[in-house]
Amino acid sequence: MTEPKTTVRVAILSFAHMHAYAYAAALTTRPGVELVAIADDNEERGTSAAEQFGTTWVADYHDVIGRDDVDAVVICSENIHHKAMTIAAAEARKDVLCEKPLATTVEDAQAMVDACKQHGVKLQTAFPVRFNSSIVALREAIRNGTIGETLTIVARNPGTCPGSWFVDPELSGGGAVIDHTVHVVDALRWIYDAEFTEVYAEIDTRMHDIKGDDTGLLMLKMSNGVPVSLDTSWSRPSNWPIWGGVTIDVIGEGGVLFANAFNDTYEMAEDRTPSYAWKPVEVSGDPEMIASFIDAVRNDTEPLVTGEDGLRAVQVALCAYESARTNAPVQIPSA
Amino acid sequence: MTTGTPSASGPATAEELRSRPVRFAVVGTGGMGGTHARNLAGSPEAEVTWLVDVDLDRANALAVDIGGKVTADMEEAFASDDVDIALIALPTGLHRMGVEAAAKHKKHVFCEKPIARTNEDARAMVQICKDAGVQLMIGHVVRFFPEYMRIKEELEAGTLGRVGLIRGFRVNPPVMERSPWFADVEKSGGVVLDLMIHEIDTFRWFFGEVERVYAHGLSFTDWHTKRDHSVASIRFRNGVIAHCEASWAHSAFRTSVEVAGEHGLIRQSSFDGATLTLEQSTGVTYEGIGQQSKAFTYMRPTNVPPHLRELLAFIDALRTGAPSPVTGEEGTRTLMVANAVLDSMRENRPIFFNEDGSVREA
Repeated sequence: MTEPKTTVRVAILSFAHMHAYAYAAALTTRPGVELVAIADDNEERGTSAAEQFGTTWVADYHDVIGRDDVDAVVICSENIHHKAMTIAAAEARKDVLCEKPLATTVEDAQAMVDACKQHGVKLQTAFPVRFNSSIVALREAIRNGTIGETLTIVARNPGTCPGSWFVDPELSGGGAVIDHTVHVVDALRWIYDAEFTEVYAEIDTRMHDIKGDDTGLLMLKMSNGVPVSLDTSWSRPSNWPIWGGVTIDVIGEGGVLFANAFNDTYEMAEDRTPSYAWKPVEVSGDPEMIASFIDAVRNDTEPLVTGEDGLRAVQVALCAYESARTNAPVQIPSA
Repeated sequence: MTTGTPSASGPATAEELRSRPVRFAVVGTGGMGGTHARNLAGSPEAEVTWLVDVDLDRANALAVDIGGKVTADMEEAFASDDVDIALIALPTGLHRMGVEAAAKHKKHVFCEKPIARTNEDARAMVQICKDAGVQLMIGHVVRFFPEYMRIKEELEAGTLGRVGLIRGFRVNPPVMERSPWFADVEKSGGVVLDLMIHEIDTFRWFFGEVERVYAHGLSFTDWHTKRDHSVASIRFRNGVIAHCEASWAHSAFRTSVEVAGEHGLIRQSSFDGATLTLEQSTGVTYEGIGQQSKAFTYMRPTNVPPHLRELLAFIDALRTGAPSPVTGEEGTRTLMVANAVLDSMRENRPIFFNEDGSVREA
């Protein structure tokens, strides 16, 4: 056990994923954390982010992970690059917080988990939904027996189509299904201490002129026998007042719990276009997730969300794609 | 039940029906039958001449309010000259018997949904009405709810462009204590044949025929006598993916619908769209749990209640010689999808359809 680090020094590797901005904001506003560098092969994006968050830009992430003044990295590259960056960071003995989905194949995810284990570094998957106050409260209510036994679950993680590399399967590993399955799958695994055992899925590209999928409906079963439906679609028009959301309806023997993770909003109408938005009253999820990662690095403890958790969630999404290809329920392999 | 003599004359003609209010025999005076009878009695286009129920007290009580002759024998009513339309609002398993009796007496028939419990009964009912030369309408009332009519118009106008996903939500508190026959899935078809059939029918009306279905639910679990809930994933032949949720496990009746397409999104709900909401101070107690939940009643009063609108549409069709607004074939196709949802749930496999609506053998 090493002495707790007083200041945790973090670098962000790539701003390709827009969540990097929220993570950078959480890092730079947290005491005892220093954002020492931003690596990005896109110079314009990298320099502008470095300026916004008061740090320095580096073109090649290899030049960052070798530095002695970096304790940990946050990886927000295109999904396909998560593996190389994570393994390189592990070899350089840096703790890793990696954006979801952890990887685009189970083999890649496993290689990342193994590399981090081998080199004795932490690997946390970025699942902010677990840290969202509504989901935390849902977990407590369920585990306290508020509605008795859970009979079935209807969940949604719809959103606006993010465009960019997200819609290119070569870079993202798919589309809406790989992007949006993992949040709810991870939250439910955590709430119930259960695994997903089976999935049937309808997946297609119907609403946008893109290569990746944009419409997804997953019919899942958990190891505790509870059936779950999950809508992953990029079904919100570009002028929808909020990017999307996560809702989980839990139907129990004694009632129903409706969790709406991003419903803590105020309505804002302005005399311009677009004129109307639902803005967050209090951001919940990202700051708590970053704080948890920093604590794990500082105190040398196991992260609350692991690389294995990221792997399990990706595996469910990949099995969903297989089900949609074969039009049959697919058994999800156990650990 | 006595065996009446089949009517020698044919069914009421358009000309006859244009000349006077249309006369109904309402068979079954429970929840739906009572609603229909009261709506009809309040309309200048219709008259309720007979109320039929084996529970004579219930029928007599209704007759005190709205008039009409009372009998326990539907054939007595159908055999009489003062009936144009037989309205069948019996438990699902008795629909075939009611429709066959009406057809035998050359009465046009309005039959509550679902058309029948089994696909076989439904096909037989369609055939017997065809053979008798009487019109058959199935009470898929959601097609007559203004919000779904507006969505149908938007879809036909192409406002949304190509549709990706439609979600239907229809939930109710458990009904099995009030109407125990619902707990017998073999008889009633559970929450799928009672509630989800509305989404199935309405979405078929929007998007056409179904390619395959896959479903989850409680109907074949030990829970089904206390709670029922089902979710179906339905893939239409035109590619649209549908999520249908039906529940007898919530605490208030609520519906919602959401349609997402390439150019936009439509969302409507009975609770957000209510113009009058009643919040009751005493809640529903869940047996064995001891927890209370407040019951909310959401209302959107309309000038023409949808349950009357569908009957007026049938009257219009009969008066003008137009086809039945919701034919027996339509009711049968919808039922076949609903039964496939139940089969999928029981067998945990997707069920595929042929182009003619029949189930493709595995």
